[in-house]
Amino acid sequence: MANIKLTFPSSPSSSTSMQTLLPLRAGFYGAPLLSSSPSSGHLLVPGHSSGKRYKLFVCTASSTEQPVIIGLAADSGCGKSTFMRRLTSVFGGAATPPKGGNPDSNTLISDTTTVICLDDYHSLDRNGRKRENVTALDPRANNFDLMCEQVKAIKEGRPIEKPIYNHVTGLLDPPETILPPKIFVIEGLHPMFDARVRELLDFSIYLDISDEVKFAWKIQRDMAERGHSLESIKASIAARKPDFDAYIDPQKQHADVVIQVLPTRLIPDDNEGKILRVRMIMKEGIPNFKPVYLFDEGSTISWIPCGRKLTCSYPGIQFSYGPDVYYDNEVSVLEMDGQFDKLDELIYVESHLSNLSTKFYGEITQQMLKHADFPGSNNGTGFFQTVVGLKIRDVYEALRAEEAATPLKSAKA
Amino acid sequence: MSRTSPILRLRVVAMANPPTDINEVLSQRIKEAEDVCVADSASKECAVAWDEVEELSAEIAHKRVKEGAKKDPLEEFCKDAPEADECRVYED
Repeated sequence: MANIKLTFPSSPSSSTSMQTLLPLRAGFYGAPLLSSSPSSGHLLVPGHSSGKRYKLFVCTASSTEQPVIIGLAADSGCGKSTFMRRLTSVFGGAATPPKGGNPDSNTLISDTTTVICLDDYHSLDRNGRKRENVTALDPRANNFDLMCEQVKAIKEGRPIEKPIYNHVTGLLDPPETILPPKIFVIEGLHPMFDARVRELLDFSIYLDISDEVKFAWKIQRDMAERGHSLESIKASIAARKPDFDAYIDPQKQHADVVIQVLPTRLIPDDNEGKILRVRMIMKEGIPNFKPVYLFDEGSTISWIPCGRKLTCSYPGIQFSYGPDVYYDNEVSVLEMDGQFDKLDELIYVESHLSNLSTKFYGEITQQMLKHADFPGSNNGTGFFQTVVGLKIRDVYEALRAEEAATPLKSAKA
Repeated sequence: MSRTSPILRLRVVAMANPPTDINEVLSQRIKEAEDVCVADSASKECAVAWDEVEELSAEIAHKRVKEGAKKDPLEEFCKDAPEADECRVYED
């Protein structure tokens, strides 16, 4: 690792330019994100009479490397969800709970990414909620001021002491220290509820599971548990629905991407929820985010890949793509109904989609294969979640590139 | 008989502890929720009771996944020592 020193002839007011800089870390793609060779660039410092040139060595004081903040709204609990595991996998490395800390911590940390669970910002623990008669979905059970303050601190490169909500005991445990990572993901029920927190997000995703699919999934999840029955699962979903519709669902309109999971239309009366119709609703006009398209951007397409070149097993795969309006926003919607049964189908589909943000041919297929055991690996949920991971990578790289450009600008000023 | 040192006897006071097994707690809460909701299924109390059941069910499911994800000991070892001989990867 190279130790890089940046020197200017006459020190500008900012002290960071005279700092001995941190060792340049190899970017997580295995190559340095910024070139470390002395010949990487020259900096003309205006105002200096001799117009001397100074070699610009790479500069990344950690205070200028702002973490990218991602919000993920999901009802399935936190941090251990499949979406998060796929996301962290795109950036490399496995995400694990903080070592040596509270074993019931909800936080996941990998080399580049830290995922925190917004349940940690509950202002009322389980007893408190019972006492005040509010569900966890209710904003009154959550401390948005603290959430805003801490997300802001991370964005500004400062560590935080974040409370831990213990899902086992239902109590708030002593806080854990979180250091600013490259990518900071806040996952939970209310990432986009508070307007101030929304301002801090660089990208946001809402996972919208339809009632029928939610029911089918919860049956799969809970039926084995002693005490649960079909009725109790139904009752649980129904009882939570009013609060869910009032407080959680409206966040959809603020998300950059909504992944909507619906029952399939390929099989009439399929109520097992095994074959899924998944729609990726992508907002237009978001900086650094190029929506995926099929064949011709902005047009409306219906595509069944199975035919002469590709044989699929029943019920096959159906895609559709087109522009739409979603809660008064211009969006593009890519939809996949059906299942992947073979590797061929996956790579075939990948090769016909555009703006996928892959760095090499077959990257999505590779990612899906890496986690073939994850739920959703054979349908649109896994596929679109992987795509979203790559889109987040785009946002990250674009923001880093912007930052790399600004030190030059500020030095010239 | 001489005693070299006083024997400290710890008295463990049995307290009425709530069941620590999370599955037990879940069963209890489901019964409670069903009771609460008999009176008024649209009441806040009913929603709060089922919300607690949902939270516990989710946590149990997460723990199950975590247990199931117990990996191959070789993979675990190679995560920390990728340069070890056993962890060499060949790409022909």
